[in-house]
Order: sequence, then structure tokens, then C-alpha cells
Amino acid sequence: MTDLLTVNFAEHWVVDPVAELAGVASVSIIAGKIASVTWRDGEAAARACWTAGANPGPSDPTVALLPALIDLHAHFRQPGANASEDVESGTRAAVHGGYGTVALMPNTEPAADTVETLRAAIAGERHGVRLLPIAAATVGRAGTQVSNVGALVKAGAVAISDDGSPIADRVVFRAALLAAATAGIPLIEHCEEPSLTDGSEAADGLVASRLGLRPWPAAGELRAVESAIAVLRDVVTSAAPARLHLTHLSTAAALAAVRSAQGEGLPLTCDVTPHHIALTDGWIAGDRRWAWEVASGDERLAPTADAFDADLRVCPPLRAAVDAAACREALRNGTALAIGTDHAPHSREKKEVEFGLAANGIAGIETSLSVAIAAHRAGELSLATIVAALTTGPARLLGADLVGVTPGASASLVQVDLAVSWRPSRETLQGRSINMPLIGRELPGVVLLTVLEGRLAYQR
Amino acid sequence: MVTQAAPAEERSSRHLLDVAGLNWRSLQKLLASAGEMQQLLDSRAGGSDALRGVGVTTLFYEPSTRTRISFEAAAAALGARVTTFNVATSSVGKGESLVDTVRTLEALRSQVIVLRHERAGAPWLAARHFGGSIVNAGDGWHAHPTQALLDLSVLSRNLGDSSGYLAGRRIAIVGDLLHSRVVRSNLHTLTTAGATVLLTGPASLTTGFAEHAASFRGTAGNVQLVGNLDEALHNADAVMALRIQRERLTPGELDSLEAYRAAWGLTEARLAALSPRALVLHPGPMNEGVEIDPNVADGPRSLVLEQVRAGIPMRMAVLAQVVAEARA
Repeated sequence: MTDLLTVNFAEHWVVDPVAELAGVASVSIIAGKIASVTWRDGEAAARACWTAGANPGPSDPTVALLPALIDLHAHFRQPGANASEDVESGTRAAVHGGYGTVALMPNTEPAADTVETLRAAIAGERHGVRLLPIAAATVGRAGTQVSNVGALVKAGAVAISDDGSPIADRVVFRAALLAAATAGIPLIEHCEEPSLTDGSEAADGLVASRLGLRPWPAAGELRAVESAIAVLRDVVTSAAPARLHLTHLSTAAALAAVRSAQGEGLPLTCDVTPHHIALTDGWIAGDRRWAWEVASGDERLAPTADAFDADLRVCPPLRAAVDAAACREALRNGTALAIGTDHAPHSREKKEVEFGLAANGIAGIETSLSVAIAAHRAGELSLATIVAALTTGPARLLGADLVGVTPGASASLVQVDLAVSWRPSRETLQGRSINMPLIGRELPGVVLLTVLEGRLAYQR
Repeated sequence: MVTQAAPAEERSSRHLLDVAGLNWRSLQKLLASAGEMQQLLDSRAGGSDALRGVGVTTLFYEPSTRTRISFEAAAAALGARVTTFNVATSSVGKGESLVDTVRTLEALRSQVIVLRHERAGAPWLAARHFGGSIVNAGDGWHAHPTQALLDLSVLSRNLGDSSGYLAGRRIAIVGDLLHSRVVRSNLHTLTTAGATVLLTGPASLTTGFAEHAASFRGTAGNVQLVGNLDEALHNADAVMALRIQRERLTPGELDSLEAYRAAWGLTEARLAALSPRALVLHPGPMNEGVEIDPNVADGPRSLVLEQVRAGIPMRMAVLAQVVAEARA
């Protein structure tokens, strides 16, 4: 453990999504506590700057200071697949990515459906990261019998989920939603209708058709979302505190359904992943343009030498540019409250195989901030939107304490240079697995420091 | 506009993974080379030693008759050392991965691997881990480059202008488009050769092909998906029946083979709608009496055996090209 930090961050671009302030400020840390925050142009200007999107101007400092990030959806593979990742390597990756809090999904082996496994999933060296375990919603994630949610929450579970698969049986889904409501936590659902998606390889559409990949229809997500909303609508009339969160949504249609249900006042939230906002299924053909650079009808479909990279195999699959645009719009208009990484490390053996035989998942916790910054720099997302989606949004879902850049608080901050870029590589990445399609690509936004609870957790 | 190929992909490669991205000049070069290879086969020597000492391995994860044998015959006719990798009796059965297998073959001095695999994209994975040349002999539903090249050579010879170009020609392709690597590759070669391609088949087996067809706008040719066989056959210069791939069908995709034949089979009665000089093709193996009647397959319009014969010289041309590129 390092010593409590004393440092002065002079003239940084400070974004505080808790106080809703942004602008040039100097932040002084004394013995791990934020001693003072001095907004150069005063608090009123900082408030106006937040409201305007917190975007720095051309003459503003390029080094930003943000609250340490929160991930509501990661897999550290412990117990069961420590060769792919464990708590030590996962948290090392997290602090490199600017994260200070990570919620861990329960699809470990065995599934985190008991207090013992829940504790085992967060044991070990954490590099100062706060780990929030999510318990399996059903025993063994088998979808037949709801877990002992009360005991799991008492042991620290912040949510329940069967992530990796949906709770397909609607009776069990309803029971899980009620159990979560009783325990005062959200149910996080992976929305997929297996009868439509079984064996599929890539999003239904032109790229899958041209590449001969088995199609994963958009209806495979929409049907599951609609059905989950129908159950939620029924449950809220009898169980007021029910909360449903739909994770890693990827289609315009599903996000529209969520927005409409939110309009009814249903207690429904959702998140999107960095890869679904920034990449398209065209990447599978070897087109390496960001999603916002692809115009409809301008797809590059002839496979290049980089085509069929199994690191792009993910569930739900990468989709067309219009779906990626819908994911970004969902962040802008508040339909999605968070960017969740769905950090899913896999060993080389599971990824260095034929595309359709590869394990699903992208190890994205070290690049998600950079991907969000890339979208920001392209004018797609304001800095306020991405910072909220990486801090206050997930904190709200998980009931996690989040202090902003607040005088008197213990310092949990990330210092990131927005003007500098880096290239993910086997050398630069800290996680144990590098199943990551952005390897070798120049990404904007370099994390310089991650400070957690007043101590240095990562320094470049 | 749909971009068919980045300019960089026009340069030849030491692999033949796909025909997508090959321009007409590249196709013409292969057609001309296949013509020379045919002359070589017809000569007294019956071949050459252009690939003497070159190790060519056929690595087939799916069963095949004509493709594997014609590749092996092609390699032998050029004097290569030919090895047949028997997947069933190899370490693949013990779980050896594709990547480990191609690395092993490289260590065993294979310079060319002719790969057939049931998964789309497998040759791209192999190519990233193999120092020699990968020739795609069919990957899942995705591509079958040498089949499309030999189909092009047959159609160019029978229907093309003096350069083999197919502008103004109408080629109908009928059947199971969804699972067909043959149609996916033929769409690239035929549109690059300027042809109009009319696609048709049962709705359950043409899913996604309206958009797929539209994505060929901007090419020299044209692709349309039409709703029935008669419309596809109208004014067609040639019709290609695709095999009903029973091994790839999922329940509900096809009612019955009898119903299929009635709606989509190339029967003599059906062919009466064609112009008398219109030609019939099938990539084989045929389900005779399902997608094509035996008397049609063996009839005077049929190019089926010409297709099979075209396989050896075209595969010679491909092997000679990838080895030349690897040496360059």
C-alpha cells in the first residue's frame, strides 16, 4: 500500500459530475484528502460549463481530472478461469483504465450463487480498487430456481444477474425481479432470446450475409427486452421498489423500446458498451473505421487480411453503424445511464480459433475511457455525457458511494491527458488476456494517474 | 457507394483467400493462365515441373471429391510434392487446433496449404499463422474462390466476348443461397465480369439476399433477387442450380424435397422456358431429381462435366500464381 498522497493539481480541466461543475481548476490533495478545489472562473461559470457539456476549449488545459471511474459490468474470471484473469490482474487492468470501482458479474465457475463464491470472487490483491460483487440471480445461473438473494445481499451483493445468459423462463424471471425488489437491489438482465440466436456468429445484416456468418437477428434482443418490460410492468404494480437494468443493449430497436418504457415511468435503466458505441460489424470484414466514420451504403465489405478476427466475436454481436449511432444517442438522451465495459478476458486458446468457434467477449476495461474520448473528440459525445456514463450513472444503479471532486473528501481521482494518444499492446496492457480488437491502434486519452482513497493506485 | 475493394487489395497476394476484391484484370490473368495450363495438360508432357520441390498439402475439414482431387491433380501436374492431410486420422481428432495444425505443416515443409473448413473465415486465421500460401478451397457458407473461378472460365468460354467479358449476359442462380459459398463467390466474379445475376430460391433459403444483392450496385455487373424461378429464367443465358445442402439445413428451412423440386427444380419442362441455347450449370455434387433432373444434368445444354474438367487447369493457375507471389 502506498502512502497517502499529497499533491497539487494546478490548472487542470476538472469535471465533477457529482456537483455538476466543470472547468479549469486547481485541486490540492493533502494526506489523501481533497484540501481545496479552486475554480479559476468561479463556480457559476463551472456550473454553466457543465451544463454546456463540460467540453474544454482550444486554449484550455488538456490534462483532465475526473472522479475515478465505475464499471457496472466486468468479468475477472475468479474463481474458475484464473488463467484468463483474476482479481489481481483485473484490478491492475482497471486502475490502468482509470477505474476505482468495479462490479463483477457472477458467471464464474462455480457461479457466484453462494456467499462463499461471492467472497471468493473478490478475494486477493485489489490495487486499491473497490469491488462490488453481483450475485447469480438463479442457482448455478441455470435459470430454474432463484438464488438466496437476501443472504447474498447481506454478504455484499449489489445486484443480481445471470449475465452471459438470459433468465429465459418468465416465471423465474418474475420471481427474481421480486426477490431483488425485496432486497432493495436491481436485477441486471442479459437480453437475448436463445431460440433466435443459438449458434449465431454475427449480427444479422449485410456483413454477416457477405461473410457467410450465421446471423444473430436484432429481434433476438428486442423480443427479450419487450418480454422483460412486460414482466416489469406487471411487477411494479405489486412490488414498488422493483428495479430492472438491461445490460449491454446493442440495437436501435431495443433502445427505442427501453426509452418508451421509461416514458411510462417504469423503473428501467440500461447500459451500452464501449465496443457497441464505437465499432461496427464491418470490423469483422477488416474495415477499421470508427462507427461514426461509416456512412450508410459506404460499407467496406471485401475481407482484408485482418478479417475474421475472433477478438471481435462478442455477445451481443457488433452491429451496423446505425445501431452504434443509436447506442451513442441513448447516452446523449439519457436512455442509457452508463457505459459498462463488459470486460470479458479470454485466454489465447479460446480466441486464437475460427471466428465462429471463439469465446464471446472483449477485454475492454483498459481502453473504454479512450474509446469514449475518441467519440468525444469526434464530436459525438460531450465530455459531460461520457464522464457521467462512467461515474454517476453506474453509481446510481449500484447504490455505490461516489464523491466528486469535493473538498474534504478522500481523493479518488483519475488524471488523464486528453491530447496524448497511446497504442494498446501486449506490453502496454495490464490484464492477463489481451483479447482486444484495438491492439495496435492509436487511441486518444492517456491515463497518467489513478488515485484511490487518497493513495496512488496507478502511475504511468 | 459500396466500396468493393480498397486499392491495396488489388495487389496480388501469396494467398488466395477470396475472389472478393479481385478486379477484372486479375481475373483475366487467371483465365489466361488456366488456358495455358489446359494446353500444358493437353501436351505430350501432360504437365510441367514449375512447382518441383514445392510441398502442397490438402487440408480438408469437410468431405470433398472433386475439389480435393482436382487440387491434388493440379499440384501433381505442376510437379509439386502433394500430401493429403487426413483430418479424420490426424491429431485434429485429439483436439489440435487449426493454428497448431498449420504451424505443424509449415515445420513439415508445406509451402502451400489448400484448406477446406466448415467455418467462415478459417483460411484468414490460417493465413495469419502460416508462412507459406493458403488457398481457400471453401470456408463454411462464405467463399469458394476456385469454384467461382472455374465457373467463370466455363461461362467466359461459352458466353463471353473475345476477352471473356460477360457484359449483357444474364446468369440465373437458383436454390439455397443462404448456405452457399458458391453463390457468394460467384457474385463477385460474375459482376466483375459485367454480368447480370438473377438470384432466386425459397424465401427461407434466400434470407438477407435482397440487401446482399443490392450491395453489388456500383460493380460492372448487376444482381437482382427475384421471387420465382420463371422470372429468373426469363431471357437467361445460363442457369446454375445450387445443391440442397442437407447437412447445413435446420428444421423448417425446407418443406420437402418433392415440394422443392416442384417449385425450384431444373426439370425439362422448366427449361422449355429458356432460350434454346441457354446453358445449365451445377457446382456438384448433385442431388439428381431434387434441384436438377438427371436428363437435364446429362442433356445437351449441360456444362456440368465441363465445369469439373475446368477445375484442374484453373487450380493449376491458382497454385502457380500463389507460389510465384510467395517467391517474389
